[in-house]
Amino acid sequence: MPVVDIDTDELRALAGTEKDDEELKADLFGLGLEYEGETEAGELQFEFAPDRLDRLSVEGVARSLRYHYGLDRGVSVPRTNSADWVLEVEESVPDERPYVTGAVVRGVSLDDRALDSLIQLQEKLHATMGRGRAKGAIGVHDLAMLKGRSVTEGNRPTIRYRGVEPDGETFVPLDSDAELTPGEVLTEHPTGREYADIVEGYERMPAIYDEIGLFSFPPVINGRRTEVTTDTRELLVEMTGTDQWTIDRMLTIVCYALSSRGATIEEVTVRYPDRELTRPDLETESKTVAHDRIERVLGIGMEAEEVIDCFERAGLDARVSELSSEELIDYEVEIPPYRVDVLHPIDLVDDVGRAYGFGDLEPRYPDVGTVGGRHERSRLEDAVRETLVGMGFEDLLNFHLTSEAATFERMGIEPGSDTVGGGQPARIREPYSEEYEIVRTWALPSLLTVLSNNTHRSYPQELSEIGLVMERAEGTETGLAERRHVAGVLARTDASYEDARARLQGLSRAFGVELETPATEHPSFVDGRCAAVVIDGREVGVVGEIHPRVLVACDLELPVAAFEFDLGSLS
Amino acid sequence: MRLPATQAAVLRAASAEEYREVDEIADEVGEKPETVTGAAFALEEAGLLSIREESEETASLTEEGEAYVEAGLPERRLYDAAIEAGADDSSVPMGEVIGRSGLEGAEVNIALSNLARKGLGEIDSGALTATRDVGEDAEAAALSALASGESVEDRETLDALARRDLVERTERSVRSVKLTDEGVTALMEGLEERDTVGQITADLLTSGEWREVEFSPYNVEAEAAEVPAGRKHVLRRTADRVKDVLTGMGFREMEGPHADADFWINDCLFMPQDHPARTHWDRFSLEEPERIDELPEELLNRVESAHREGVGPDGEGYHSPWSEGMAREIALRGHTTSLSMRYLSGHAVGELEPPQRYFSVEKVYRNDTLDPTHLLEFFQIEGWVMAEELSVRDLMGTFTEFYESFGITDIQFKPHYNPYTEPSFELFGHHPETGELIEIGNSGMFRPEVLEPLGVECDVMAWGLALERLAMLITGAEDIRDLHGTLVDIEFLRNAEVIY
Repeated sequence: MPVVDIDTDELRALAGTEKDDEELKADLFGLGLEYEGETEAGELQFEFAPDRLDRLSVEGVARSLRYHYGLDRGVSVPRTNSADWVLEVEESVPDERPYVTGAVVRGVSLDDRALDSLIQLQEKLHATMGRGRAKGAIGVHDLAMLKGRSVTEGNRPTIRYRGVEPDGETFVPLDSDAELTPGEVLTEHPTGREYADIVEGYERMPAIYDEIGLFSFPPVINGRRTEVTTDTRELLVEMTGTDQWTIDRMLTIVCYALSSRGATIEEVTVRYPDRELTRPDLETESKTVAHDRIERVLGIGMEAEEVIDCFERAGLDARVSELSSEELIDYEVEIPPYRVDVLHPIDLVDDVGRAYGFGDLEPRYPDVGTVGGRHERSRLEDAVRETLVGMGFEDLLNFHLTSEAATFERMGIEPGSDTVGGGQPARIREPYSEEYEIVRTWALPSLLTVLSNNTHRSYPQELSEIGLVMERAEGTETGLAERRHVAGVLARTDASYEDARARLQGLSRAFGVELETPATEHPSFVDGRCAAVVIDGREVGVVGEIHPRVLVACDLELPVAAFEFDLGSLS
Repeated sequence: MRLPATQAAVLRAASAEEYREVDEIADEVGEKPETVTGAAFALEEAGLLSIREESEETASLTEEGEAYVEAGLPERRLYDAAIEAGADDSSVPMGEVIGRSGLEGAEVNIALSNLARKGLGEIDSGALTATRDVGEDAEAAALSALASGESVEDRETLDALARRDLVERTERSVRSVKLTDEGVTALMEGLEERDTVGQITADLLTSGEWREVEFSPYNVEAEAAEVPAGRKHVLRRTADRVKDVLTGMGFREMEGPHADADFWINDCLFMPQDHPARTHWDRFSLEEPERIDELPEELLNRVESAHREGVGPDGEGYHSPWSEGMAREIALRGHTTSLSMRYLSGHAVGELEPPQRYFSVEKVYRNDTLDPTHLLEFFQIEGWVMAEELSVRDLMGTFTEFYESFGITDIQFKPHYNPYTEPSFELFGHHPETGELIEIGNSGMFRPEVLEPLGVECDVMAWGLALERLAMLITGAEDIRDLHGTLVDIEFLRNAEVIY
């Protein structure tokens, strides 16, 4: 979940309150921001769910608080001046990253805190909406360092988004003194290496030019020439990405944040080869919400005035729709453009609930009658488990994820062999660890591992487990057969085949099935002391004395008799 | 007077002049000390004996102590080496002395600290000067005395040895008995013995002889040998409790695949395909098998449309890429909500008409870092209620009821965000023991973008919770790994308190 770092003095100033830190913490918890701790610089950290991305910086959190305190009501949209600058998209732009947006911001006064906050917002937007810069990346530049006038383009200053050969151009990136090509940035610059995989496979690299030359290499790094400092008074904010809506909304959030610090937003004309856009797009949106739906979801009756009041306290504007009748009221709700989380009217119902105070709702038990019950498989599993425990087995619960070494090699069997445990396993893609590379095909290896980890504990150790195993299988829905296996091990100085068979007999009798144990061979067991478990005529498992080769591999110094079979055979 | 044989023997062996120890009498009458003690208490009750209890201390060598009996105390070995090196004349570098002494590891520190304490020498600027003529070492002498079974009276030395963990002192109580005046009188008047028997036998019962005999008393307070007994796994027990509560509340159990299509695990839940939780780093996708072929075609199209365009006239989809290929990938489920999707879509048990309540307590898989509170696989309690009309108040009422069964009252609902529910709430409750406020679940009303593609036209509320978290609350376990997996200590399971 995203975390926002907040300087509480700034928050108080922006939110227009004099509450102390503790009171602020409590108010923010009510808004869904949970206090997490402090940064080294003494800023308070709050974690919140990733819906309200407009709260990724102190400015947005302050705005939410102002609504919460009733200092602001309804929708507010920053005023914009009309466009001077043009952001021209050239045909050479990489196909993988065709979209761009931007805004000019004038009259900013960036002290250290404000600059920090801007950088934080940028980074947090990258991490969330920007999906690690892949979907959207932000570049903020000192406008004074850009040269946009061009005689050929008339009077409007222009910057250009285009694609360049990886080594077709050089510039000095941030945190560097050297002139590097984009290709060199990806291998030589630390930030370049970090984001290299986003542009991997791009034929041409994304690049932004002014009259002087390349000044930004999105989504990787800006040039040093346009670096923003506390002396900067005018900004160019540009964003590139794989989706126009996403970068436009990221831009909106940045513009709202800067505007709340008193800056003026100026539009930019984004000129694609086939169309022209005016950005930032600060248009509000409108959705229709039925009064009934609000009452139904909240479980209470409300007056229209009360609902509208809640909407306004949530930073929305609402009016009763002209199409409403006496019985059926609809609201037309106007939504500010920074609300990237509103996908459906239900999200507005949630806003009403939050403004009303979910905590003030009285819980009630739903007046709905249903009949409860367990699944048959789970009842059978439970009954078998009870029976095993009654025989003295310690019931175990092992992980389903395991290694090939434990499942196959140590047991002396091969995946894909026609033997219990020898199925082809489900394999994890690119596992972090060999310990968790497959889902187990049988349960005995897990029980042997437990024995092997408990050689310092007193014997006898009689362990059983009923648990999931799976193997590849043609003709099933997922290409896998998932089963529950019943497995048991008897580790004691006098353990023998007979002990294991005795337990099987007991189980068979308890569940009214017929057990036969014709001799068989299995690499994990001693020849001549190993049998197939045949229940009601169907071969479902194996029983025998574990082979000394396996015992030694498990660091065991005493005999182990064992069995494993399919739980379903007892039904 | 008529007395059981043992009591009679004990009474005869007791003296009127002095207290005699129970052990001594037991030897004399040829009975076990506990039998004699039992008899003595019976006699005391009858006023024939008086019993005196004293505690006696015995000292025995620890493993380390025994080792020093053989090898000598480290400081003495160091001292001897120092003398050999001539350190009584002039100081000798420490390194040389230690080398000569053959001391290693922790022994060196032991030797140095005790050397100074006993005044065997002095260390200055890394060189050792040994004291001359230090005489015999009281501690060494005490150790050898104890080793050869003699007792040591020197308290001070014993204390020093105990502090060094070379000697272990145990207290035991010694009982002694002496005849009372009544006892003397009884003896003088003559005793008659009754037969006593140990084991009840078939013979004794059928012959009727049991009427004539006295049963020898046992020490009923003594610890008995352990009975090896199986136990249902503590986490299974917790799961049983949860299942009991939920079936009691009218929930039916769901069942379904652990390895499933991402479609069921995520797409149906309106999780955007570029959601961070859907990257390789958080989930276990399978390399083999790689894809599911069988997916309900119409549902697939409706889900895709919900992602791309949203549902309803004012709905909006995600501005995220969506591909059928990703929906068909197979992964180990990250939540059992995949089961809820299979049931709600009618795929699992056919179309469901409201009202319905369903649950499962089954394993889920998350590619997380293993630590005391996180496992790669754990149990999720999943539940949902479907009805014509449900509000967040019904949701709150249901969960309040559920958690009260586990002693968690006054739960708090914190508004939250999930891609698949709206409104959503994180549930917090106070730990019944520590009083700490902890997250105990996540809940909400399924979004229209989830329900409409599934063909569900009424309301559905759902919630999820890790079973292990509940188990830790109930059992007080601090490390989840004690509970779950092959690292489990059998002794932990054997000693775990039964949950009911």
